[in-house]
Amino acid sequence: MDPRDHNNCRKQKEPNPLEGKTCGRREFLKGAVKVAALGSASMATGCGTEVFGSSEDLQLRWKEYFKKNYRLMTQEERGETVRRLERLAKLKRNVDIQMSTKGPIEDVLFGYGFNVTRCEGYMECVAACVKENNLDRKSQTQYIRIFEMEPGVLTPELGNGKFFHKVPVDNRFYMGVQCFHCENAPCIKACPTKATWREPDGTVVVDYDWCIGCRYCIAACPYYGRRFNWNDPQVPLDEMTKKQHYLGNRMRSRGQTEKCTFCVQRSREGRLPACVEACPTGARVFGNLLDPKSEIRFVLKHKKVFRLKEDLGTDPKFWYFID
Amino acid sequence: MLKKCLDAMIPLLFIILSAGPAFTADDGVMQTINSATTPLDDGKRVDSVLPVPSNTVPVKTKYLGRLFRTETRKDKIERFKCSQCHNNKEVKITRAAEIAHGDIVVVHGGQGKPLACLTCHKEDERDYLVTELGSRVDMDHSYQMCGRCHFRERRDWVGGAHGKRVSYWAGERIVKNCTSCHDPHSPLFEKRWPKTYSPPFNK
Repeated sequence: MDPRDHNNCRKQKEPNPLEGKTCGRREFLKGAVKVAALGSASMATGCGTEVFGSSEDLQLRWKEYFKKNYRLMTQEERGETVRRLERLAKLKRNVDIQMSTKGPIEDVLFGYGFNVTRCEGYMECVAACVKENNLDRKSQTQYIRIFEMEPGVLTPELGNGKFFHKVPVDNRFYMGVQCFHCENAPCIKACPTKATWREPDGTVVVDYDWCIGCRYCIAACPYYGRRFNWNDPQVPLDEMTKKQHYLGNRMRSRGQTEKCTFCVQRSREGRLPACVEACPTGARVFGNLLDPKSEIRFVLKHKKVFRLKEDLGTDPKFWYFID
Repeated sequence: MLKKCLDAMIPLLFIILSAGPAFTADDGVMQTINSATTPLDDGKRVDSVLPVPSNTVPVKTKYLGRLFRTETRKDKIERFKCSQCHNNKEVKITRAAEIAHGDIVVVHGGQGKPLACLTCHKEDERDYLVTELGSRVDMDHSYQMCGRCHFRERRDWVGGAHGKRVSYWAGERIVKNCTSCHDPHSPLFEKRWPKTYSPPFNK
């Protein structure tokens, strides 16, 4: 591998809004590290593979380490990184995954409705979400939290989020909380590496590989919508969802923030998110906000709706409604 | 003096103007939503949509001029057609009713005014439901029967606030039937243990 082929600062690049300079710090470091590695490798000729492990694994991880932010990649580069990640999953975990980089659908803005009257607290959505999104089983990461609420109270902080008894309980109602995919999301503004952004279809996603684990976004989110991987997530191989998306349910690593993506791997194919599909009571409504005939638009038009902490101006795309 | 006063007013005015409400209903995403008035055909935009399954029927009501389909019921009833047994011939088996329908428990209707079998079924029209006005309702279109009393739920179901879609948000709209989720004889959902729980558990 000749470093000059891949790493050329003088190479013509497309102008993009995120990078002002054509020869940025990252590019420079990339070059410097490669030169250093080349030097040390030439000194240690003969025992390179033993030092660095399997050469294919090393090569793939090397390229992965220096890839661009997802938003800066061309479609080709996206394809390459996905192929690398698929191969790495095979090498590391011996599992065949299919990873997609499918982009947002035109004229679609995802919105979500949650019927407070209908939810009975069965927690089917939580289980489906954990399974679909390959969430860490060890620390029991969950994107969704269901609160058992007393009548007249609409702040989940005052509800019971740890209930485990037969449901529904008389004179209680249930309220689910997850990422609300704010139009004006504070987490995006807080991120110092631009590792999280709002996609054109309205979902707020994370490029896990660009997350440095500072957790500013977690502090910025007023809804407790994000989760942090304190350890490498552990998912039993037979339970792993193999159909993955780069911005969605692919495996995260230690020190990366993750969150609900409205199941980007499903919703961009026209399917319902796992929580909506699993809900046994039909309390969850999902659809295109830009289509006046969609279910979510019916809810907004005909039901009494409210959003959490609306006064913060985060403009969430998640509405609670009552029958 | 006046100039001084005005000078003092300008920053004050600035503060007042900039400290307006952080969010109003006409702002942001609501504005985007309200300005989107053209119906979209999701099916054409999305590559993979649900092929119309055979066990659905077109609903006889439209929503905003758009047809939609619902799951069938008759193929899920164990002994349909009912007229196989319920005909003019004599039934010779003893306790036949108990054997055939012993599992049915009717917990439906208000307190002290429970529904009877014959509220929805009729003796001389076994293969159909019959409303109190005497019109026949196909069992695949049970929403027509349920909606006689539960008209609010029916309106919400037609629009999409009650019930749920099958698998896909895009493409041809296929929704669950009333009886896909509710047992028509005891429609209330049972009390049961939740599927999982949220950590921390013992705190």
